[in-house]
Amino acid sequence: MITTVTLNPSIDREYFVDSNEIMKNQFIYSDEDLKVYPGGKGLLTAINLKKLAYPNVQNIGFVGGKQGLFFEKMVQEYKVITNYIYTDSEIRNNVKIIGKNPFSYTQYNDYTHKVEKNDVADLIKRYKRGIVESKIVVIAGSIPEGVGFDIYKILIDIAHNMDKKVYLQASGEALKLALSAEPEFVTPYFKHHKSILDKEMKSKKYYIKAGREIQDRGVEYVMIPFHCDRLLFDADGRVYKLTPDDYCIINWLGASDAYNAAFLDYVYQNGFDFLEANRHGGAAALWIAENREVVLNNGDDFKHCLRRLHIEELEV
Amino acid sequence: MSIVRDYMMRSMNSVSSDDLIEDVIRYMYKSELSVLPVVDNQNKFIGTIYSNNVLKNIIPEQFGFIESHRIFYEVNQAVENLNDIRDDMVENYMSKNTDAVNENDDMNKIADIMLHNKESLLFVVNDEGYLRGYISRADLLHFLLDEAKKN
Repeated sequence: MITTVTLNPSIDREYFVDSNEIMKNQFIYSDEDLKVYPGGKGLLTAINLKKLAYPNVQNIGFVGGKQGLFFEKMVQEYKVITNYIYTDSEIRNNVKIIGKNPFSYTQYNDYTHKVEKNDVADLIKRYKRGIVESKIVVIAGSIPEGVGFDIYKILIDIAHNMDKKVYLQASGEALKLALSAEPEFVTPYFKHHKSILDKEMKSKKYYIKAGREIQDRGVEYVMIPFHCDRLLFDADGRVYKLTPDDYCIINWLGASDAYNAAFLDYVYQNGFDFLEANRHGGAAALWIAENREVVLNNGDDFKHCLRRLHIEELEV
Repeated sequence: MSIVRDYMMRSMNSVSSDDLIEDVIRYMYKSELSVLPVVDNQNKFIGTIYSNNVLKNIIPEQFGFIESHRIFYEVNQAVENLNDIRDDMVENYMSKNTDAVNENDDMNKIADIMLHNKESLLFVVNDEGYLRGYISRADLLHFLLDEAKKN
C-alpha cells in the first residue's frame, strides 16, 4: 500500500472557449470543451501510481459536502482507495477558462473549504490506522482553513513513530514547521510567492542556500524546482542540476505529481538511487509537460524522455 | 472470471470500536450510508455498525406500527433515549460478526451471499483481513448486467 495525503483537494473544471471575453455569454456544447476532474497534489500522485500499475494506493484527506461525495466518486473511477473525512463545508472548485484564439488562460482558485476542529481530530485518528500497511507516505499540497500549519509536522511524527518514511511536497509556513519533524524527502513548491523559508528566490544561489538550509534542519534529500530544471541535494552534501533538453512545454498541470510518482516507482522497482530516481521523475514530468494530459497513461510512455534528461554536479 | 476488485467501492470510511455513537451518526449522515465497518487500530475489519443497531435502542416500538396519537410521545422518548446513549462507545452496539468477502472472491459467490441474506452491502477485506472497501447490491446488479450483455 502506498499512502498519499491531500488535505485540500479540489474539483477542477476547465472550460475551453473560442475567445475569453469579459461581458460576453459563452456557450459550451461539446464535452471536449469541458473537463471536470479531481485535483490536488498527493491525489494526482496517487492516480499516477495507479497508472503505473500499483494495486493498492490510497488517498487520505478532507472532502466536503455533497460535492465532496461527487469528488470521491470521481477518484473511485481511478481505483484509488479513498480514505476521507467528510466536512460540512463544501470542497473547493477551481475554475480555469482557456481561450483558444487568442490564447488566454484565466484561473479562479477557490480557497473557501473550511475544516472544523473535530474533523482534524478524526483525520489524525483515521491516518494513524490508515498508514499501517504503508512503507512510505506522500504528503502534499496546501492546507484548508481551520487546520493548523503544524498539521504536517504532526502527521510526519506519527509516520516516523510507525517506522514509515515521508515524502513531503509543501510550501510556506506548513513546510517550515514540518521540517522540524525531519521528513526524508522534501520538494518545496511555489504557491503565491517565489519564496522558500520566507526568503525570496532571486537567483540560483538563493535556491542552493535554501536547499542547504532544509538539509541543515535534518532532511536527507531535497529536490527544488528551478525554472524547468530541478536542483537535487544529495544526502552526502553534493548538489546536482537535472535538466531536460529540447523541450516544448504545452502543459504544466500535473507535471510535479507525475515526477513524484515516477520517483517512487523507480525506488520501488530498482532500489534507492537518488539521481536515477530523479531522472525518472524528470522524464515523467517532461512527458506531462509536452502532452495535454494531467496524469500519465502508463509506465512506458514517458520512458522515451529519459534520454533527454541530464544531470550535472554543481560546484557549490 | 470477474472478481470483487473489479466492482467494489474502494473506501476506508470506517469507525473504531471506541468511537462514540454521536460520531457514528455524524459519519453516516455525511457519507450517506446507514451501515459502516468497524475496524481495530490496525485497520482490520472486526464488525459492523448499522443504523438499526442505534435505532432499536432509542425507539421503543421501532419495528411495530405506531398509533398517530403516540407519535409525539415516541419522538420525544427517542430523543431522550438518544441523549442517554450518544456518548456510549460503538463496541456496545456493533454487530461483531466478521463476515466480510475477500477482494479476490469470484463475483458469482457474492451474488450467492447477497441473494441469500438481507445485507444491502458487504465489506471487503484482503487476505490479511485489512479493510479494502465494500460491495453493494447495486454493484452486484452492475456485474449481472455486464454478464447479461456478454450473453
